Amino acid sequence: MRIAVLIKQVPAVDSVRIDEETGTMEREGVESELNPLDLYAVEAAARIKEAGKAESVTAITMGPPQARRALSHAIAMACDDGVLLSDAKFAGADTLATARTIAAAIKRLGKFGVILAGERATDGETGQVPPSVAELLGIPALTYVSRIVELTEESITVRRAVDGGYETVRAPLPVLLSVTKEINKPRLSTLAGKLRAKRARIDVLRASDIEADGVGLAGSPTRVVKVMYPKVTRTCRKISMNDDHEGTVREAVKFLADNSFSDARVEGVLS
Amino acid sequence: MKEAEKSNKFGVITPEVLNEIKDAVSAKNVYTDEADIESYSYDYTGKIFAQRFDVLVKPGNAGQISALMKAATKHRIPVTTRGAGSGLAGAAIPIYGGIVLSMEKMNRILEIDPVNRAAVVEPGVVTNDLCRAAAAKGLLYAGYPMSTELSFIGGNIGTNAGGGKVIRYGNTRRHVLGMDVVTASGDLLHLGGKYRKDTWGYPIMQLMIGTEGTLGIITKAILNLEPLPGKTVNLLAAFPDLDSMVVSVAGVVKSGAKIISCEFLDRLSAELAAKYLSTELPYQEKTEAYLLIQLEADSDEQLEAAYEKVGGICVEMGAMEVFIAESRTDSNAMWQVRQNIAEGARAEDPHASISGDIVVPLSEVPRIMKIIAAKCKAWNVVTANHGHIADGNLHPLALKPKDMTPERWAVYSEEFYADLIQEAVKLGGVGSGEHGVGCVKLDALFASKSPAELGIHSGVKAAFDPLGILNPGKLTAVK
Repeated sequence: MRIAVLIKQVPAVDSVRIDEETGTMEREGVESELNPLDLYAVEAAARIKEAGKAESVTAITMGPPQARRALSHAIAMACDDGVLLSDAKFAGADTLATARTIAAAIKRLGKFGVILAGERATDGETGQVPPSVAELLGIPALTYVSRIVELTEESITVRRAVDGGYETVRAPLPVLLSVTKEINKPRLSTLAGKLRAKRARIDVLRASDIEADGVGLAGSPTRVVKVMYPKVTRTCRKISMNDDHEGTVREAVKFLADNSFSDARVEGVLS
Repeated sequence: MKEAEKSNKFGVITPEVLNEIKDAVSAKNVYTDEADIESYSYDYTGKIFAQRFDVLVKPGNAGQISALMKAATKHRIPVTTRGAGSGLAGAAIPIYGGIVLSMEKMNRILEIDPVNRAAVVEPGVVTNDLCRAAAAKGLLYAGYPMSTELSFIGGNIGTNAGGGKVIRYGNTRRHVLGMDVVTASGDLLHLGGKYRKDTWGYPIMQLMIGTEGTLGIITKAILNLEPLPGKTVNLLAAFPDLDSMVVSVAGVVKSGAKIISCEFLDRLSAELAAKYLSTELPYQEKTEAYLLIQLEADSDEQLEAAYEKVGGICVEMGAMEVFIAESRTDSNAMWQVRQNIAEGARAEDPHASISGDIVVPLSEVPRIMKIIAAKCKAWNVVTANHGHIADGNLHPLALKPKDMTPERWAVYSEEFYADLIQEAVKLGGVGSGEHGVGCVKLDALFASKSPAELGIHSGVKAAFDPLGILNPGKLTAVK
């Protein structure tokens, strides 16, 4: 069985700046990294392979040429090879257009028993691409997977996080899983892995290589029309302890009670 | 210190003297509450070393400090200057009581000057706050003590703090360009400036660095800023034994790669920190020693070549695996463990002694490692060993034997360190690389220096502080 891992290169979270005028992300000089939540998908794939249940793991990403680095990272961790979907025609894609592109590429790349993805990307935060890809491929999507219970040649049993608890479900292969942080602890890249990544095969697929309609900005039914930067306003009232300890505490409690902390009250003996 | 002996050497703070102190620094900056005195009576060396004192002062400016020193001189009151209290040798502990001068209110970054590559700061600025402010202007404050999130610049200067980037940028002394100092008698000196060359008289400013507030009180500092490094990468090499780690260090240092950091953690250090952080380093169950190495290069290609070379050296010398941080998350995961060894040790053993800080020439590191192991056996002590190994600076961190009282341990641990210090000195090293002498290593200092050198020590002290009121009991004997 072959495994595919869908990954994305994202801006490193602590280096993102939003231009407040235009509402767009300032990408100039911003460091990129492999989406941190995708590390869990790569690790899950690695463990399936190491358990002898898969012969290869292919990392797939859509992005500009420099997204090759994200593939190299995935390979340095544990993947065997990578596929980069890169074409000016893919640019500006929303989640549906992205899913169409990836699904078309997967069809072109042949059969995968399990397709793994992170829960969501830390830049878009939608989590829509993995289930959309499954829908377009006509295979089951199991989201929020926190543990792979059993994997056979025909089916997979997983535990997934749902509101208020977990449910255990089984699906036939091929299947797509999006995994949560609970599933494992991703490994660090090793020097040997980095050297392997340098030699590993990374194929680039262009729009003409895959059969996909409705890709890129032109194929995206949604548009970002405005981005608002949340303004956090906090006010502070400082109450200093003076010699009248009880009075100070009562003042603080009154302040809390007057400001939606309706349960605030003085209990016990103040001294 | 017995009360009688104290009052013999120094003046007493009577209600009248207290009023003079309040007049000098403003009453709102003077604290005599039991709780205040208690929490400023010790530092990170340990509560067991706490010393009572009389008045806590948190001045707002140099003028107040000058007025305070005039009053202190008049009444011969000891004044111990204190930074964040993150010191590991008890330098901020007021051995002879009197006044503790906390610089926490003087915490403004006054200027980041890109043209002169200089920062002008008050002594109460937290190291990391300065690093951030400098980085926002594309510059680097290169001081990097492991307490960077906590320690004050004033304390960094007072101890000549080292840390994790000394191999690349040098210790705090290399970053100090100038300072304002209030003397024991209350005079204000302007030393150095926004320049990097100075053969204009005795280098008095240099004497203020690493002398633990015994010669003057730093009220402002002008610090050197560096250009931000180019690309950096962090490597974590896991070794099956100490020997292969030690030989790797020599190879790494002479590899030609630009090394920013080269830190060592032994098995116990990694375990204590990882447990405290609820994490785990890779290969932890089979690793006896880790090296955490940070490299710098101008381009991704050069960086790749550098880590391949340095990582390759580690593998060749016996590393089981070399891990490469791919992201800031990975890097933080590695450095967090390195930064939290002391915290991890204290979580496991509240009496863990963190003051161990010996230095030897790099070539003697293999020998001192063996000596530490042998001394641990002889003294029946367990140490978590870590440190800035490429600087030859090791921190054997001693855990209290279960059956020993904390009081006995406070003495015993320092006797143990004193024994290690003797060995380090024999190998051409010193007893402290960055923590300082403080109150815990004074006897070891006296034991390792010649009478001639100690005589000059006393002479320097007398020239700056004839009454001996600045942090008495540190670096020189109280006359």
